[in-house]
Amino acid sequence: MNEHLQLRDLLGPYVMGALGPEEERKVEEHLEACPSCREEVSDLRLAHERLTDLVSMEETPPRELKDRILTGMPRRETRWVPLAAAAVLCALAVLGVLYASGFFAPDEVASANLQATDLAPEAGGELRVRQDDPNAQAELEVWGLPQPGEDEYYELWFGKEGGRMSAGTFTVDAQGRETLYMSVPEEASGYDQVGITIEHFPKEPRMSAAKPVLTGELEES
Amino acid sequence: MNDVADEVLVGRVAQAGDERALSELYDRYASLIYGAGVRYLGDRALAEDLVQDVFTAVWRNASGFDPGRASFATWVYRITRNRATDLIRRRRARVRTVSSDPPFEPGEEDATGELSRSFDLASALSRISPVHREVLTLAYFHGLSQSEISRRTDTPLGTVKSRTTAALRALRKSMLEDEGR
Repeated sequence: MNEHLQLRDLLGPYVMGALGPEEERKVEEHLEACPSCREEVSDLRLAHERLTDLVSMEETPPRELKDRILTGMPRRETRWVPLAAAAVLCALAVLGVLYASGFFAPDEVASANLQATDLAPEAGGELRVRQDDPNAQAELEVWGLPQPGEDEYYELWFGKEGGRMSAGTFTVDAQGRETLYMSVPEEASGYDQVGITIEHFPKEPRMSAAKPVLTGELEES
Repeated sequence: MNDVADEVLVGRVAQAGDERALSELYDRYASLIYGAGVRYLGDRALAEDLVQDVFTAVWRNASGFDPGRASFATWVYRITRNRATDLIRRRRARVRTVSSDPPFEPGEEDATGELSRSFDLASALSRISPVHREVLTLAYFHGLSQSEISRRTDTPLGTVKSRTTAALRALRKSMLEDEGR
């Protein structure tokens, strides 16, 4: 193997500072005379620096957290892949009878089309609420919302005569879009309005200062 | 399992409620989410809540993930960012309620985009071959020297060095694929 290829293989440990003094000196001498290896070094250094950043960002969570999370997942219906088409047809027939007889309630229990206000005339959104004991699950999709300022964020509210309740906060991507999923507390069942407001850190949301960007009526499905 | 793409794993979670796939995704991203929680929420208990909330959301909503719109890393980053924002707000409200002291101010939530880039890199790392990922993991995340990696993996030192170079090259290529999306 010629020297160029041998030294090229060392460029990774070189950018990591993991070579001994002798090998490091050989690589540096070679780099002075080899433009392609210099280019390779600058590419590898980018990967090295990003890995170093990632290492500084990561922290190992407590060992028991994984078990606690994985064993605590809510039970979910498993969609089995059927073994034969006949089994599918049979199952569909049974399900059809059950649906027709009202045996199953539909998953979706309520939804709202969100309408824009003057604060965000291009915006729109949909909220779908599905039952999932003990809390309901809401899927919110919004689009056309302005990028929040540095200290701003959006907040989803359920409202009714005499009060409102926060259901979560979010920001949007560069296109003003976001899709998010959240648990809806059981006590939200009496609410019939939905609103999204723009809020400011560090102020706490106040009814009197609410700035709705999207509003809608929550209708039972 | 460790050579399976993130998007395939989340598909298995969606289709079959595959807990092993969720476990693999946890191994790939939990340290980053927990680290982000400690950094931005300034509280280890809240950081644990953040990890739990994010993986519960992945479990519940895997069927809503559309790989045509975003990578898994981008999707889980958004979930993390939104949950962190929510936890920061709730924490501030709670501190304000129970104490007259000025509330602890956690760090700016990813104002520089550092967290977003870290998720992208974790995704790029998950796409390189297991043998390349292993050598980088041992060097960067376990802090082993090239000689220590050689002993740990029973691989000649020269091979470890050339493999480290190839692994960084593969990672750079994987990063460029992300940037080209």
